[in-house]
Amino acid sequence: MRGPSASLPRGRRGWAGPSLLIGATLAALVVALALVSFVWTPYEPTQMAILKRLRPPSAEHWFGTDQFGRDVFSMIMVGARNSLAVGLGAVGIALLVGTALGLAASRRRDGLLDHLVMRAADFSLAFPAVLSAIMIGAVWGPGMHNAVIAIGLYSLPYFARLARGAALQCRQLDYVQAARAAGLSEATITRVHILPNIAGVLVVQATIQFALAILAEAGLSYLGLGTQPPAPSWGRMLNEAQTFMADQPWLAIFPGAAIALSVLAFNLLGDGLRDAVDPRTRRSRA
Amino acid sequence: MSGYLLRRLVSLAATLLVAALVIFLVLEILPGDPAAVTLGLNAAPEALAALRTEMGLDRPAPLRFLAWIGGMLTGDLGLSYTYRVPVTQLIGERMAVTLPLASFAILLACAIGIPLGALAAAHHNRAGDAAVMVFAQLGLAIPNFWFGLLLVLLFAIGAGWLPAGGFPGWEGGAGPALKALLLPALALALPQAAILARVTRSAMLETMQEDYVRTARAKGVSRRRVLRRHVLRNALIPVVTVLGLQFSVLLAGAIIIENVFALPGLGRLVFQSIAQHDLIVVKDLVMLFCALVVALNFVVELLYGLIDPRLRQAT
Repeated sequence: MRGPSASLPRGRRGWAGPSLLIGATLAALVVALALVSFVWTPYEPTQMAILKRLRPPSAEHWFGTDQFGRDVFSMIMVGARNSLAVGLGAVGIALLVGTALGLAASRRRDGLLDHLVMRAADFSLAFPAVLSAIMIGAVWGPGMHNAVIAIGLYSLPYFARLARGAALQCRQLDYVQAARAAGLSEATITRVHILPNIAGVLVVQATIQFALAILAEAGLSYLGLGTQPPAPSWGRMLNEAQTFMADQPWLAIFPGAAIALSVLAFNLLGDGLRDAVDPRTRRSRA
Repeated sequence: MSGYLLRRLVSLAATLLVAALVIFLVLEILPGDPAAVTLGLNAAPEALAALRTEMGLDRPAPLRFLAWIGGMLTGDLGLSYTYRVPVTQLIGERMAVTLPLASFAILLACAIGIPLGALAAAHHNRAGDAAVMVFAQLGLAIPNFWFGLLLVLLFAIGAGWLPAGGFPGWEGGAGPALKALLLPALALALPQAAILARVTRSAMLETMQEDYVRTARAKGVSRRRVLRRHVLRNALIPVVTVLGLQFSVLLAGAIIIENVFALPGLGRLVFQSIAQHDLIVVKDLVMLFCALVVALNFVVELLYGLIDPRLRQAT
């Protein structure tokens, strides 16, 4: 027995607002750039060519070269891969652990576990990702994995709260009560009825958190707490560009634009998906 | 009201205690030997032993935790290993940059975001509304440290109107100090202004549907007056809530922005302390940031009562 899906209401399936369309197109572009970088980049992104250092954008080097003569466009392609990987890792951890905690908390409203999970979620919201990264970086040193953990820890309470709230609503519905009366265990009810019904809102939140994760990763890499050299990262590129910015502004413009475009893509995608999942939100936002 | 205040104060103290416990566990217990983290792998055994004594690591962990809490309550945060000065003094000096920066940024965010949101709501589904929404989307997507670099390119390197970085201090007067803080505050304010514009617009559109707004219009009150006196005032509750919640994001942003503009504030201090493995300073600063966020959320809750008398009565 499976309840009606809350992910896409009947009659709204296939609806694509401008946010969804533009967001999906831009996001596909960023993902394609990252995937293509596994098999092809115009130049080797870590290969230095001192004779070609600080070249402006041209047909040979579309986005110019940096202070070591490395091709900026190739670095941006590989940087996209690293940014998306950190975002995927962090949001993946937060989605899995946060949802599990939220679902467990929703099993008994105002129970001990519920209180513990919700207070922990309240508490961790007071900890921005950069503070977690600072603590983790201070103890274990900076790095991509630690950035994933820090951003994941920061995103986790959003999923725990959302999953708990949505699951509590679901548990009141008739078909869940019927399933319980039919003798199904709580674990089965959660897996078969609750989880598929709250999946829509969780996917929307994951898209929005993904955009925030890209932004956070760029900030941490800018500070030297994220992806470490020689692996290219957009935040690190911006940090290095600062010294040369007065005479070679493209070094700061292209990586920043890449971050802004990616965040915009996933923000719009999240907004569009939310409108598709819950058309009521469109009236006040659109 | 006093019972409510007491409950909130107890909850505030409990949250701060848990925060202190987590920070202590991560920065003092998990590393194994914080003295070894501070001095590095090649430290001489004598230097390690001396630092362990200085950090009080020869005492049991619960005693150290209690001593740290006691120190915070009495204003004694210990001595920075790198700077060899009391951490309280370091924080006091750096606070003179970070607090004005954060306050300036909040002021700018409110001055830009709230009028833009109100403008969008007043011109719902028209060109002005669309323009504000595009601004909001871009404001949320553009990293503030990149925006800071672009501002430096335009107004410091290009036009030469404002300094590209550094801070002259308050001794030379407020003028030069505020001039040095303008670009960083603007960079910090952009995402906040975008969020405030969205929230103000959304809250005003909701409030416009209320019966009392229709009644006021039916009584002949002008549209402009209704928007200002009835709609905007009632829409301010979610705006204040979001402002409070965004404070932690603002502080996180300040850590990065202070590094972009080489401002000698708390953010730069915490970053330098990580680079120098000065765990004593890192621990105190992370606790301070956390306490600031929790205290501000508490103030925001109290502000609800001032903005909306109905909530005051309910509590």
